[in-house]
Amino acid sequence: MTVRNTVAYVVDRGIELAADRPVELHFVDVARTRAVDPDAQAELGAASDLLDRIELWVEEDTGGETPENLTVITDVIGANQYLFSPSDYADVLLEYADDKDIDRIVLDPEYSPGGSVPMLRPLEFELARDDVEIEQAPVDRPTEQTVLARAASFRKYLTVFGASYLFYMLLSSWKPIDFATGFLTAALVAVLLAPIAFSEQPSFGRIGKQTIRMLIYAPYLLKEIAVANLQIAYVVLHPDLPIDPEVVELRAAVWGDAAVTTLANSITLTPGTLTVSVTDRSFSIHSLTAGAREDLFEGGLERAVRFVFYGRDAAAIATPRERGDDGGHSDG
Amino acid sequence: MTPVEWAIVALALLGAFFGGVAAIGIVRLPDIYTRAHAASKSDTLGAVLTIGAVAFALQSDLSTVKSIFLIVFMFITNPTAAHAIARAAADQDIEPWTKEDDS
Repeated sequence: MTVRNTVAYVVDRGIELAADRPVELHFVDVARTRAVDPDAQAELGAASDLLDRIELWVEEDTGGETPENLTVITDVIGANQYLFSPSDYADVLLEYADDKDIDRIVLDPEYSPGGSVPMLRPLEFELARDDVEIEQAPVDRPTEQTVLARAASFRKYLTVFGASYLFYMLLSSWKPIDFATGFLTAALVAVLLAPIAFSEQPSFGRIGKQTIRMLIYAPYLLKEIAVANLQIAYVVLHPDLPIDPEVVELRAAVWGDAAVTTLANSITLTPGTLTVSVTDRSFSIHSLTAGAREDLFEGGLERAVRFVFYGRDAAAIATPRERGDDGGHSDG
Repeated sequence: MTPVEWAIVALALLGAFFGGVAAIGIVRLPDIYTRAHAASKSDTLGAVLTIGAVAFALQSDLSTVKSIFLIVFMFITNPTAAHAIARAAADQDIEPWTKEDDS
């Protein structure tokens, strides 16, 4: 958590400048809203908690009394919009900055609204299009955290344990001994794997909904896979081998490890497309034929994956083509 | 033959067909990326159809459930493996084959 140090840095700078002229410090948190998410309320709550803490920190740093010229304002912004790309976040921030006459934006070096998808650098890049000064607070990061293992909560252990136990029993013969061995196995699995199993706190409601939507997604994916294979069979068995391979870039509008992985794997399984690498949300995709590229940018799969992870409203976001992404020409 | 037996035969034949397509694709296609296409897609479907035939043929609850789990895991792991291969190739700066290379 470098936020604490970032606040300290900002307050220091503020006090310095306040010696000469009035200074307003705005601490804003861009709400990670998915207005359609069942968690929207909780997220907004977390945002205002953070801002409350920041207010306390500011008091601490100013020694209890704020200098005359210094005004401190906190705000949650972007709460009523669906934000899915760094440029959306930049829009919200710049609009706010413009509104309040702000001439310098300081970013926390660990700010990552995209979960484990790195977003700071693209965000900085997007912010640079306006003439506001951008900087990352020059604070030391404690140590590079390992991304894989996180301290696991009881709920994570319980979820992993429950899922493994259920899976074990499904495959067992339901003898009393199976209940015992299943319990031991599930406990072992939970202890070993719970710390790496989820990147976020699992919510049973969300997992349930995603499972149901995944079941709706499965037949669609199977159909796409069947079509894909007939096309591959046609291409491979055709005497002339009519292929026209090309690597294209797709900037997909999905967030989070699970959604990105699902989309990447779905792309690999379907018509003539193969995910080569994923950085941030930029997919590098090898496509076998021109028709495959067309389908990719029609965005059917991407939309379906958004439906699975975020619900029906999110599925309505524009296709990659409508967003102005036609692949190949984007500079990543 | 009962309808179930027809289904088993059809699934097994289709599975063999797509397995064959995968093998032919790996031989005919020009470079590692295009070959990964054949290996990831046709191979997955071939294996999945064959396991589907097995699920019908075994006709026991437990084995059928296990077969279905196998299918699910194939769908998850096969594209991941193909992706790993393609990314390894990209990391080593292997240029994808294009139409121009043909002439």
